[in-house]
Amino acid sequence: MRILGTAALALNRIWATKVRSLLTMLGVVIGVAAIVALTSIVDGASQGINKSLATLGTNQLNITAMAQDSLTEQDAAALAALDNVSVMFVQAQNQGTIATQDSRVNARLVGVSPQYFEAVKPEIALGSYLSSSSFAATSKDVVFGADAANDLGITKELLGSSVKLNGQDFRLVGVLDDQAGFGTSGRVYVTIDSARKLFSQYPYVSSIVIQANTPEQVDALQIQADVLLRERYGLGVETTARYTITNQASLIAAVGSITATLGLLLTGIAAISLLVGGIGIMNIMLVSVRERTREIGVRRAIGAKQSNILTQFLIEAIVLSLAGGVVGLILGEIAAFFLAVLGDWVFSIRLDTVLLALGFSLLVGVVFGVWPARQAAKLEPIDALRFE
Amino acid sequence: MADEVVRLDKVRREYLVGDQITTALGGVDLVIERGEFVAIVGPSGSGKSTMMNLIGCLDRPSAGSVQIAGDSTNELSDNKLTELRSKAIGFVFQQFQLLPNTTAIENVMAPLLYQGKSTKEARKLATQILTQLGLGDRLNFDRNRLSGGQQQRVAIARALVTSPDIVLADEPTGALDSKTGAAVIELLKDLHREGRTVVLITHDLEIAASAPRRVFLRDGLIERDERGVR
Ligand SMILES: Nc1ncnc2c1ncn2[C@@H]1O[C@H](COP(=O)(O)OP(=O)(O)OP(=O)(O)O)[C@@H](O)[C@H]1O
Ligand SMILES: [Mg+2]
Repeated sequence: MRILGTAALALNRIWATKVRSLLTMLGVVIGVAAIVALTSIVDGASQGINKSLATLGTNQLNITAMAQDSLTEQDAAALAALDNVSVMFVQAQNQGTIATQDSRVNARLVGVSPQYFEAVKPEIALGSYLSSSSFAATSKDVVFGADAANDLGITKELLGSSVKLNGQDFRLVGVLDDQAGFGTSGRVYVTIDSARKLFSQYPYVSSIVIQANTPEQVDALQIQADVLLRERYGLGVETTARYTITNQASLIAAVGSITATLGLLLTGIAAISLLVGGIGIMNIMLVSVRERTREIGVRRAIGAKQSNILTQFLIEAIVLSLAGGVVGLILGEIAAFFLAVLGDWVFSIRLDTVLLALGFSLLVGVVFGVWPARQAAKLEPIDALRFE
Repeated sequence: MADEVVRLDKVRREYLVGDQITTALGGVDLVIERGEFVAIVGPSGSGKSTMMNLIGCLDRPSAGSVQIAGDSTNELSDNKLTELRSKAIGFVFQQFQLLPNTTAIENVMAPLLYQGKSTKEARKLATQILTQLGLGDRLNFDRNRLSGGQQQRVAIARALVTSPDIVLADEPTGALDSKTGAAVIELLKDLHREGRTVVLITHDLEIAASAPRRVFLRDGLIERDERGVR
């Protein structure tokens, strides 16, 4: 029999047992839907994380002090003098309290040098950055991160009014957007000079950020910076440093590999449910072979070869699995769409997801269909005909 | 040599059940020539169905040889045996054995499709033969909507559609009332008149008596082989 004729027999049978066919597909439907939805969650999440990481700048090196007295402004000045450094800024930070007339909360107070806003360019929601006049010795201006502003109940009307940081009066000049970037949200930014007055820890700084002219120079600059600081403090190569140097690019790569692992894990779980779906199909196909033993006998008697029987049952399993895959793909993409709306990331139907879903369900059909189909084909015609 | 369609030489068929050997056929010689109408008669368990399975290429003998249309079934692979069956044999079963979820015409088309014929050609031949058997208005009925007699006629159409060398009918009237049964036997006799070879298995002596040749089986052996209308 030609393959189309055999396929028609398989489809005919699936249609004749609609409810059972649907239930049989369910395992694969759920497995594929899970794979599609989970892939899109991981995608969306890493999209989000990478977007915030990108705001940090990929050619930056973050040198963080291990203790309060590990790094100084003199270190920063020396680093700024290295070749290929385009921007440099320092941060001094400490826990503190922030208060308006009505409320008072804890926050991380961060003193930044003038280059900070220019280098990081966080998005601003209200008001403005600390301007050059803010950095004049006498002024005491402050910019709030989004969460810090929220916690204190800052509204537009409070711009320009006075807030207290550790009991000292500051003028609120701006509030950052909640999308402003990784780690900005809970912080409160003042000038580095103000910070010194707040925590009285001159000349120490908590971190120094230097930026290479081009992304290609970052790795070399990291080595130069490390050598320079080790020389300044007379540290041997073996000694644990007083600081850590974080390369933003490697941070992004690390996050990338974490989300990839997460994705693999979730896909693994989904693959197990697909496996269960496949076993479901195999089970029903075995039952079906048993129930239809007589039919197989009659078909053999009227001229069906073993290969005809094999293809008929195999196509049946593949159609069940593939149909389950298509339904699962549609449900999974619908779920992914709603998750994208909730999680505020971009929804897109990826070709590789579609191919993966269909490919997997095809594979499941073949793998779990072969054995029952072989059982059917191997039946002896007379035994099959006599079967009650 | 006359045109032999079936030749059994010292055919034995034994079944091993547990450690007990049952002899279903104990050494049978039989020649059936083209165009014969043979009734195979015998009590239950005498080996009639066993013989039909051997002639029908559904089974192979334990000893001896079975030749169908000149081919010995012993040496054939499963595939070749199926080809021989598809070309040379048409089956009519006691329980009709129409395929489930399948219409009358699809049942009749199936043997042609397994032979590799196109759907179009199969449909044409099947329609023709079903119409000849008076089922022209039942082509798209499935077995649940056909009477027993109609089902058996569909089964006969299915057996005939490939123009086989032999039509094998095992108790074709067993599941029918006597009037419908008689009509089916008449149909088989018509086929014989058209020149086809028909082997009819029955334990109904009256039906057997009307056949031109009667082979009596008992305990796996041929007891008598009679010719001529009595
Ligand atoms: N598959 C089998 N396994 C074991 N024994 C079998 C098998 N098929 C037939 N037999 C035995 O072979 C003998 C002949 O069986 P067969 O079916 O040929 O009888 P029959 O003449 O067709 O009987 P009936 O008129 O009841 O159909 C019986 O004793 C039966 O038990
Ligand atoms: Mg019998």
